[in-house]
Amino acid sequence: MKRFIKFIKEFPKHAFIWVVLFFALFPLYVTLAISFKDSQQFFNRPWVFTWPLHGYNWTNAWSEVGGTIFNSIFLCMVSTVLVIVLSILAAYFFGRFRMPGHNALWAAFMTLMMMPSVVNLVPLFSLLQSLDWLNTYSALIVVYTTAGQVISVFLLRGFVEDIPNDLFEASEVDGASHLQRILYIVTPMSMPIISTIAILRFVASWNEFILPLIILRDQAKFPVSVKLYQLEGAYIKDWGSLMAGYALAAIPLILLFIFSMRFFVKGLTSGALKG
Amino acid sequence: MKRVHRKNLRYHWKVYGFVLPALILIAVFAYYPAAAAIYYAFHLWDGHGPGVYVGLDNFRRAFADPVVHHGFTLVLILVIANLFKMIPSMVTAVVIHRLTSARWNYFYRAMFVIPMIIPQMVAILLWKFYYDPTFGVINALLENTGMLDGLVWVDQQLGWGVFRPGIRPAWLAQRELVIPSLIFWGFPWVGVVGVLIYLAGLANIGQDVYDAARVDGVGPFRLFLNVEFPLIMTQFRLNLILMVIFTLRNYELFLVVLGDGGGPGGGGMVPGLYMFRKAFVDQEAGYASTIGLLMFLLILVLTWINQKFVRVEK
Repeated sequence: MKRFIKFIKEFPKHAFIWVVLFFALFPLYVTLAISFKDSQQFFNRPWVFTWPLHGYNWTNAWSEVGGTIFNSIFLCMVSTVLVIVLSILAAYFFGRFRMPGHNALWAAFMTLMMMPSVVNLVPLFSLLQSLDWLNTYSALIVVYTTAGQVISVFLLRGFVEDIPNDLFEASEVDGASHLQRILYIVTPMSMPIISTIAILRFVASWNEFILPLIILRDQAKFPVSVKLYQLEGAYIKDWGSLMAGYALAAIPLILLFIFSMRFFVKGLTSGALKG
Repeated sequence: MKRVHRKNLRYHWKVYGFVLPALILIAVFAYYPAAAAIYYAFHLWDGHGPGVYVGLDNFRRAFADPVVHHGFTLVLILVIANLFKMIPSMVTAVVIHRLTSARWNYFYRAMFVIPMIIPQMVAILLWKFYYDPTFGVINALLENTGMLDGLVWVDQQLGWGVFRPGIRPAWLAQRELVIPSLIFWGFPWVGVVGVLIYLAGLANIGQDVYDAARVDGVGPFRLFLNVEFPLIMTQFRLNLILMVIFTLRNYELFLVVLGDGGGPGGGGMVPGLYMFRKAFVDQEAGYASTIGLLMFLLILVLTWINQKFVRVEK
């Protein structure tokens, strides 16, 4: 009886959450359901699974977006790694030292947190043009890295500051160099936040759209977001293949989250955002 | 933390090397373009070569430009709409936190990470598809529940001339419907990241607080106002700032859904999109920089208001 009362009391909360979850997960269902339809099935019953399932949509979609997915993976990996390396170094500087000019340099980073990058898109484009970097990945990687490192320096600094000083004193006695300290103390001790930053950076770069749209000319170089935009803009749409393409674009993110799920649920909700 | 004095600098100057790469990047690819944007805002410039100094002409033009007026009005409407759209995330986080079972709590948290795997572009294109007049789920739902007939009836009573019998509304292609459709966009407006951020704040409230509240007979609504909301105030403020910046600067959605003309009659021309259009379609990069600068100033003002009036009581 007691359990029953408890169930009644908790039920409305669960029901509410399930309704919200339904809406949150509905896009996944739609994409999957339609990705297996030929156009006849799509016209007749677009909202439910229909048999037979047509797998050829997926092979069609793969031939369109497959290459661009690898482009995106490359761009995201390189810029994420760069962000992590640069922000560990910078966080070591801000978190462990009080050099002359410390506050001014810190302010230079923090001002950028408030300054939305879109505002300077036009001169940025012209700068990349004068560097002769249009239609190259260098432009994208450098700009992604610049945009990403501000917040990650901010998050990492807090972690690096909290590492007990004893560790550093001991390493100084042993004659460890700065780089050794970064490799063997700072990096392992801030691993939780580093992984959170890495995942968030990867996803953020995956979602970049405007910059590659204006920088890249070669279709073969497009990241997947621009490619999907282009495919969706076609006058006659093959909805089945299009949806399969959407699903394919999510697969790398799915893999990323599968490997980091457990940690991520904890990481994002506890230590990562203590401000 | 090691304090290094100026006179010891010659032993420790190497430490600056650690911040240098990051510093060079932000100097060249963030500060330089920002400074250039201010510079070009006062110039007639087509995006190539040097510009011609024109003083405040660009600003005069912007203040007289009806598209700019429309854009900034629209973006303020969207900020206000998004303020209300923040409520569902908060409510969802509170409901998850109030669950007595820790196991369910963890399970739902995990479930709310799943939508993050949907790439932003896919989310935008899917919502565009929901609004599709012929195949979209919204029209299908309205037709099958008879709500479309209701809308047509209301239309006839009030004389809007928007919903006509036997015609499926083209949500993103009719001038009157574009803005309401964009406000409804993303229903039920539960942002995954928002929920997770709020849950982080709520984690500080222990079960004992709820037990005490129950003993004192505090209702669920009072509990939210007096206990939960003050504790997530920091997170609320963070989300508020993020929301304002996001609303002002993110025009991807508008570009993808409405094209660089801002949709039917330019109804969805937000300032960001107008800047994009001026710079990359009309080759008026100087004027585009002016619009960018005005957006930046608006963000600054809104952030300042936020700092000033939304206080965190510790």
